[in-house]
Amino acid sequence: MSLAGSSDVAGALAAAPGGGLKSPRRRRGGRRWTFDRISLFVVFLGIPLAIFLVFVISPFVQAIFYAFTNWNGFSSDFQIIGFGNFVKLFGDDIVMTAFLNNVILALVVPLATIVIALAFASAITVGGPSLGPIRGIRGSSFYRVVSFFPYVIPAIVIGIVWAGVFDPSHGILNALLSVLGLPFESFAWLGEESTARWCLIFLMVWSFVGFYMVLFVAAIKSVPSETYEAARLDGAGRFRMTMSITLPAIRDNVQTAYIYLGITALDGYVYATGLTPGGGPSNTTLVVPQKILQNLFTNGQASYASAMGVALSLVTLLFAVVVFAIARIARGKDDPR
Amino acid sequence: MSLQTAPLDRRNFLRAAFAGAVAIPLGVSLASCSTGGGGATGKVTAKNPFGLADNTTVDAVIFKGGYGTDYVDFAGKLLSKEHAGSSVKVTASTTIASQLQPRFVGGNPPDLVDNSGAQSIGFNSILDQLEDLQDVLDANNLEGTKISDTLYPGVLTPGEFDGELKALNYVLTLYAVWYSGSLFEKNGWTPPTTWDEAYELGGQAKAAGKYLFVWGKEAATYYQTLAIDSAIKEGGDDVRLALDNLEEGCWSSDPMQKVLTSLKKIIDAGYFKPGGSGTQFTAAQAQWSNDQSALLYPSGSWIENEMKSQTVDGFDMKGVPEFTVSTSSSLPQTALRSTAGEPFIVPSKAKSVAGGKEVLRIMLSKEAATNFAKTRLAPTIVKDTVPDDAFGSTALASQIEMLNGAGSDTFTFTFVDNYGTNQDQLVLWNAFLDGKSSVNELTDGLQKISDKVRDDDSIKKIKVT
Repeated sequence: MSLAGSSDVAGALAAAPGGGLKSPRRRRGGRRWTFDRISLFVVFLGIPLAIFLVFVISPFVQAIFYAFTNWNGFSSDFQIIGFGNFVKLFGDDIVMTAFLNNVILALVVPLATIVIALAFASAITVGGPSLGPIRGIRGSSFYRVVSFFPYVIPAIVIGIVWAGVFDPSHGILNALLSVLGLPFESFAWLGEESTARWCLIFLMVWSFVGFYMVLFVAAIKSVPSETYEAARLDGAGRFRMTMSITLPAIRDNVQTAYIYLGITALDGYVYATGLTPGGGPSNTTLVVPQKILQNLFTNGQASYASAMGVALSLVTLLFAVVVFAIARIARGKDDPR
Repeated sequence: MSLQTAPLDRRNFLRAAFAGAVAIPLGVSLASCSTGGGGATGKVTAKNPFGLADNTTVDAVIFKGGYGTDYVDFAGKLLSKEHAGSSVKVTASTTIASQLQPRFVGGNPPDLVDNSGAQSIGFNSILDQLEDLQDVLDANNLEGTKISDTLYPGVLTPGEFDGELKALNYVLTLYAVWYSGSLFEKNGWTPPTTWDEAYELGGQAKAAGKYLFVWGKEAATYYQTLAIDSAIKEGGDDVRLALDNLEEGCWSSDPMQKVLTSLKKIIDAGYFKPGGSGTQFTAAQAQWSNDQSALLYPSGSWIENEMKSQTVDGFDMKGVPEFTVSTSSSLPQTALRSTAGEPFIVPSKAKSVAGGKEVLRIMLSKEAATNFAKTRLAPTIVKDTVPDDAFGSTALASQIEMLNGAGSDTFTFTFVDNYGTNQDQLVLWNAFLDGKSSVNELTDGLQKISDKVRDDDSIKKIKVT
């Protein structure tokens, strides 16, 4: 992404005054390397590019390289062993469980977050009274601020606080349910296979909804209200307006949100560690980065950890490709972008 | 068209920039492959057994956990007194592995490391970079006694790898089942010594509206420790060696199965406080030490320090050696898993290997060891540093009593730490304590974890004898 950004800068430079298309100097045989031009290149292209290559690309390259070695992480000598780590990876049932968990998160978390965020955003912007101008429900600005709160809290704090809420003996959730007369006296939300995964998913959705709601609110505001008025005159209800007008109009935002959320869900480390550091019951909340960290530092298998990282980034790329493909198919012929 | 030249320039520029950016880190990593060496040494004398060079600043990186780091500062002050001009620079760290990884790879590790805590370095990945510390034991302490004669039995075992002493574990740790002396006295209960007695006590606890045991999700394997120790006491060295060397069927041995079955009986009777698999472990421990809703808790001797602020007044913490299955066990009931924690290591490539060893020698001398016991209420591996009143701590007094009772009947096991299997085992133990899996399922699962490590050629095995 940033690489593309860098060439945009260069493109902008080419179009800048002096280097522009119709500059008379250029017709006389190319541009000169004046001090101004060189310093501009260095400051706006060279330095960002160097930082990007050293701190982003070179660790990537190193990780890929180490994935093919038997490096233990603490010595300076190692051998190249080919695909051994990847073979081991596919035979490791716990790591495979972790991958499966991440994939489930990547499927459920974005979908749930976007549906809820879209519902809230619609309610706040166009879901108000069906008489008079198009507007949100009463008190919409209050809800907008409140639902943004979780996003402001650091992820690790969210994890730890909710782990306390879910505590079987002293947690506020079981206390509330018991007050209502339900049999949840010592129910271990994070210890039951049936609930632990949903607790993690709930937590992630809860923390993201506010931000994506604000994103969608901004997108919906750019849709002309005449469109909604016309639809209302035609007798469309709120659900129909959301599905037939809002969703097609802000499709690009939804696609972007889906990819960002998917990438976050394919990581999920901070939330999973805050909630269930050990991976949860039967490893149902174990995520791949937890296994990476464990192998990297505790078990002294840095090369194996690198192989997991490489595999996870391949899954992430695959996810982005699939989302783009689906979006392209859904877009159909009417919008040849 | 003139436009065509622009992208060409840009592409070349990008290409050169990319090549440069790749070359820089490569060069750095190649340069770091060169190795350092043992460093400057001074003259070896009786007062300076390792030949510490004059005016050395010993670089020590110490894990800052429950014990803090000031006990090393204390030893540093003694070192400055012994060797004028030299001093110890103590760096506290809670993330030993990630902080020291580049220094180990780069060949410039510190002179002394306390490789402890949740983020410590796995020993099998650095063994060949560590000094053999046998000469520290052979040296005399500051009082003039040979250090190896001043230590409790069995405390060196966890630091021995392939017959060499690669780590010196400083703090004595023993494993026991802990209880509230005052609560037991009030109710006329006696701490159990066998699994059958524990089961009976569970019934009495239930009658009093309490549970026998409590557990937390990150510490479910404390019950694995209890089970292993109990099986070793029952079956002796055969059980221990089979587990430590990851032998086939090591979890199916008769003593181990008897212990697990006894534990299962207690679980099925509902004597475990439910919900442990969803409870944070210190919160669970507080249910024992503060709420007193459970009677017993199996743990290492750090428990008193760990729960200090969450222990109810007048709790009177005491320990009892872990249960045996029968009264005819291989080891007596008083036998203990006594081992040592806080592994101090001296990397061979350190600037001052002598400095690292000298700090250890001073820490093992009477003055420093007594200071540790007094300020931390935990014994070091050095004998006779705790007075009879145990500085007023019932738990410490109880520890010393158990140690004296065990005599030379101490043992330990190391495979969980050696191969980092705890994380995977936790999952099985949470399910088992929850009553969701049978003894057979637990045994199979644990065996699978041991088998996986044994059959993985990329993991270096440590032969235990």
